[in-house]
Amino acid sequence: MTKTIKAKVFRYNPDSDNEPYFQDFDVEYEPGMTVLDVLLDIQDKYDSSLAFRWECRGGQCGSCAVKVNTIARIACRTKVDPDEDLLIEPLEKMPVIKDLVVDLAQTTFRLRRIRPYVARDKKPQRPEIIHAEEIEKVREIRKCIECSACLSNCPIVHETWDYPGPMIIRQLARLELDPRDVEDRIAMAMDESLYSCTTCKMCEDICPKKIKIPSLAVELLRAKAVEAGYPLAEGQQGFVDQIVKTGRAVPEKDLPLLKELNTAEFFVENPRGRVAFFTGCLIDYRMQSTGKALIEVLNRNNIDVVVPKEQWCCASPAFRTGDLNTAHAAARRVTEIFEKACEKYDCDTVVVACAGCGKTLREDHRPFIEEERGKPPRYKVYDMAEYLIQVVGKENIIPPKGEIDLKITYHEPCHLGRGQHVFDEPIQLLKMIPGVDYIEDPYKNRCCGAGGGVRAGQRELSQKIATTKKEYIEATGAEMVTTECPFCTIQLNDMMKGTEMQVRYIPDLLAESYRKGDAKT
Amino acid sequence: MNYKTIMCDVLVVGAGGAGCRAAIEASKHNLDVIMLSKELLGKAHTSMAEGGYNVSLGNVDPDDNPETHFKDTIVGGNYLNNQKLAEILVRDASERIFDLEEYGALFDRTPEGKIAQRPFGKQTWRRTAYASDRTGSEIMVTLTEAIRKESVRVFDEVFATKILVEEGRVAGVASIDLKYGDYLIFRAKSVVMATGGAGRIFSVTSNAQLDVGDGYGMAYEAGCELIDMEMVQFHPTGMVKPESAKGRLVTEAVRGEGGILLNNESERFMHRYYPEVMELAGRDQVARSIMTEVLEGRGSPEGGVYLSIGHLPKSIVEFRLESMIEQFEDAGVDIREEPMQVSPTAHHFMGGIKIDEEAGTSIPGLYAAGECTGGVHGGNRLGGNALADTQVFGALAGESAAKFAKKNAHTGINRDAIAAEFEKLEAMLERKEGVSPADAREELTELMWSKVQIFRKEDDMQHAVKELRRIQKEIVPNIKVDVPVKRFNPGWHQAIEFEHMVTTARMVAEAAVMRKGSRGAHYRVDADPNDKGYYNIVIRKGKDGEMELRKEDLVITKITPP
Repeated sequence: MTKTIKAKVFRYNPDSDNEPYFQDFDVEYEPGMTVLDVLLDIQDKYDSSLAFRWECRGGQCGSCAVKVNTIARIACRTKVDPDEDLLIEPLEKMPVIKDLVVDLAQTTFRLRRIRPYVARDKKPQRPEIIHAEEIEKVREIRKCIECSACLSNCPIVHETWDYPGPMIIRQLARLELDPRDVEDRIAMAMDESLYSCTTCKMCEDICPKKIKIPSLAVELLRAKAVEAGYPLAEGQQGFVDQIVKTGRAVPEKDLPLLKELNTAEFFVENPRGRVAFFTGCLIDYRMQSTGKALIEVLNRNNIDVVVPKEQWCCASPAFRTGDLNTAHAAARRVTEIFEKACEKYDCDTVVVACAGCGKTLREDHRPFIEEERGKPPRYKVYDMAEYLIQVVGKENIIPPKGEIDLKITYHEPCHLGRGQHVFDEPIQLLKMIPGVDYIEDPYKNRCCGAGGGVRAGQRELSQKIATTKKEYIEATGAEMVTTECPFCTIQLNDMMKGTEMQVRYIPDLLAESYRKGDAKT
Repeated sequence: MNYKTIMCDVLVVGAGGAGCRAAIEASKHNLDVIMLSKELLGKAHTSMAEGGYNVSLGNVDPDDNPETHFKDTIVGGNYLNNQKLAEILVRDASERIFDLEEYGALFDRTPEGKIAQRPFGKQTWRRTAYASDRTGSEIMVTLTEAIRKESVRVFDEVFATKILVEEGRVAGVASIDLKYGDYLIFRAKSVVMATGGAGRIFSVTSNAQLDVGDGYGMAYEAGCELIDMEMVQFHPTGMVKPESAKGRLVTEAVRGEGGILLNNESERFMHRYYPEVMELAGRDQVARSIMTEVLEGRGSPEGGVYLSIGHLPKSIVEFRLESMIEQFEDAGVDIREEPMQVSPTAHHFMGGIKIDEEAGTSIPGLYAAGECTGGVHGGNRLGGNALADTQVFGALAGESAAKFAKKNAHTGINRDAIAAEFEKLEAMLERKEGVSPADAREELTELMWSKVQIFRKEDDMQHAVKELRRIQKEIVPNIKVDVPVKRFNPGWHQAIEFEHMVTTARMVAEAAVMRKGSRGAHYRVDADPNDKGYYNIVIRKGKDGEMELRKEDLVITKITPP
């Protein structure tokens, strides 16, 4: 039996159409089919004038990037899901020439502007001696095929061409890392708004060559900028100074959670597991009730919780903005504190309820510590939702009983989804709450604009990104948006001011349902 | 008919490895250089080359030298190569790879920090320089960076359809702007053709969609001589499945790094065909061995054989064959654990526009470089010699074209001929009844794949020739475009390409019929043993408009055929 899939394709010929429209096609599905196969099939069978670019069909030339179900990818390496309708649109931000073909002139212009070639001040020796270790990193970052998909997905480029986009910042890093290049690429990167990136990792996620642009390009260039003496923005420097001084990125306001709690030990009878809780700065200083809710939720599920009182900031703001001295000192300190706590309490698991901290512990601390001392930290890091669903097990979770009758959507924090590969777990938790009408937001994984030092350093840009995000969330028709990151929560609260939309942290909502359930019985 | 005129000194048609290199070279002569690219800059087929670039640097095998490279190239080419051209190839390959490094290329290194070299088929020493298995991409990225530095004016997505010849000299090209469908003519003092190959005239090919033989078709119509058109390389290892990936290249580097070929009885069958060199026999030889296994029932259920690297250390595979991992991952195969399925795929045209030692063609002012030329590789191209060819002859053609442009002024132009060309293109849009390009293409590519393939025989090829003459007469003038719009209309582009495809296919088939013996990639099951085949076949359009073929003596400088 043949299966048919529906493909909704963007059509527009500015010579004859008043406005763009979508055309539906039925395409016979074949196993292994790619989006390019679908487009070629339509062109062959239905309409030979359907315009799209392609050449190599093998992920080498980078011609065929289009938006597939809202996210830009190269068509030849994007597999078709036979159970899902396809929505195919042209790349964002670039004028449409026809159908799926866009004018890339702006990109080409921006590339040329950075003098995107190895600049030399003298002729090289022939042969030129270059050692493999000198080019190890360049080799990685050089695989770019200029498909431009990352530009289309970039939340910063979406708001402004002040930022040239991931692909072009990557080219600057490629040149900075090349021992032969003599240009001042750091100055150039500063001039190209290096600090506008929120490190949301959308570019990395969809890159057909899996280039880690945020870490290998953006953060690397920022670290070099700091090393070269470029000052951080005032707001960013404030965070970093605070970390060095107090171990917290923000100043104390109300009584911090760690001071309020009179014990480090929250133990239950017959525990099924034991974890150490990494609070992070915001839960400790600003969202004390969320911290308590998290302990409660874990305890209710028969998990012992240890809250080391001397814990320290993960230094995410320093990692993101390039102050590696502060960042590395914090990584060492955090590792020491939690290794000690784990040893003392005989556990090997650290649970985090902040997407930014979790990402930093996993993607930044771990490789750094491993490189520095030859061994990674002796504990595993889990996000709260991930721990509940994957380790406790969905079937073992004590079901919350209190009804919460709301239409609820979810904002996936960039550093939880793409940062830690935790995608469905928070949604599964949400769906366990009785009464919740979960509404999927097709743009749930778009950046809220807070991360990467952008909220701290460039408030205006950050707000623009937030406004776009707000439109996506409101379009779902939900009454409440939930998330699992304090930083996103603050940003969402700001953007939703003056609207009816409620913003909640998932552990809070879970605890609320548990408590409501208690009252019922 | 409205069209726009654009003037320059040197015009380069094609923006792959050879075109970019020619444009860079020409621009160094204080001239106004334009490069036309049918695709976006940087997307040319060169980026799909995987394995490497042959150059006798001797970095890993110090005994290597240009002499040995020359000998391997001639023996590998079954002695049909133009030896003057092969001498240039081996002589300049090293300087041109250093040029690439100067522009910014990063090839993989030896422990001493020199360019690393790997073994490839039919070569005495480890000679093939590489950047993992994405060497072509590395070169294309580098040339793109270099072009962005130079003063070359790039017109991308411009499709040249006709070479303009005036007063016996080249005058420029007629073209359409693919983006908006406008007609353009480019007038130049000299022109370099660097239009690549025509793998797409076969239904199974490793080639990108743009490799349809535009250059062969245009050069033929302009009156150029072409050579060795019967010599089509079928790369032994193309992907077998999924259907949509059929024919995609599986680099020779897999075998170079130690990959072995197995039949469905897990037998390493190459020992029965070429026991001394096994998997690293010539591409033509390996392709025939694989097809023999398949035809005799020892192939995989999908009609291929198995290529295994399971015995190699994973670290080597991951570092040196990263694209292969990615490519097969997409097909659901982890090549570190399970074998790949492979079978031959149309890959490279050894034949093409006939050039001399200045990369000049038979038309003054017209130069050519890269796959669109013939003569360098003879009857079979060594893996790794094509990338070297693009750089060596690209630079040479660019330099020669610049010198010509310095000595000569622009010619006049014949506006009637230009109008006639554009009216022909316009007529495709206006035609109500006719054959759609998709149908026409399918007929052509199936015909070529089934009748002018790896094992050739007289009846098949006679049939193909007859059919191709019919297609040329009956279908080409009746190609119609389904939706008559000019703005980025792939249906129209394909309709225009079809004539070039047919002309190219006819040259392949007619020359193949003429060559009665087996030689290199031209293998006949009914070979005439008296035809040793030591000649080249040269084709051109005769005064009467008919295709003229003639045999020519080989160009020999050092090695006399046995």
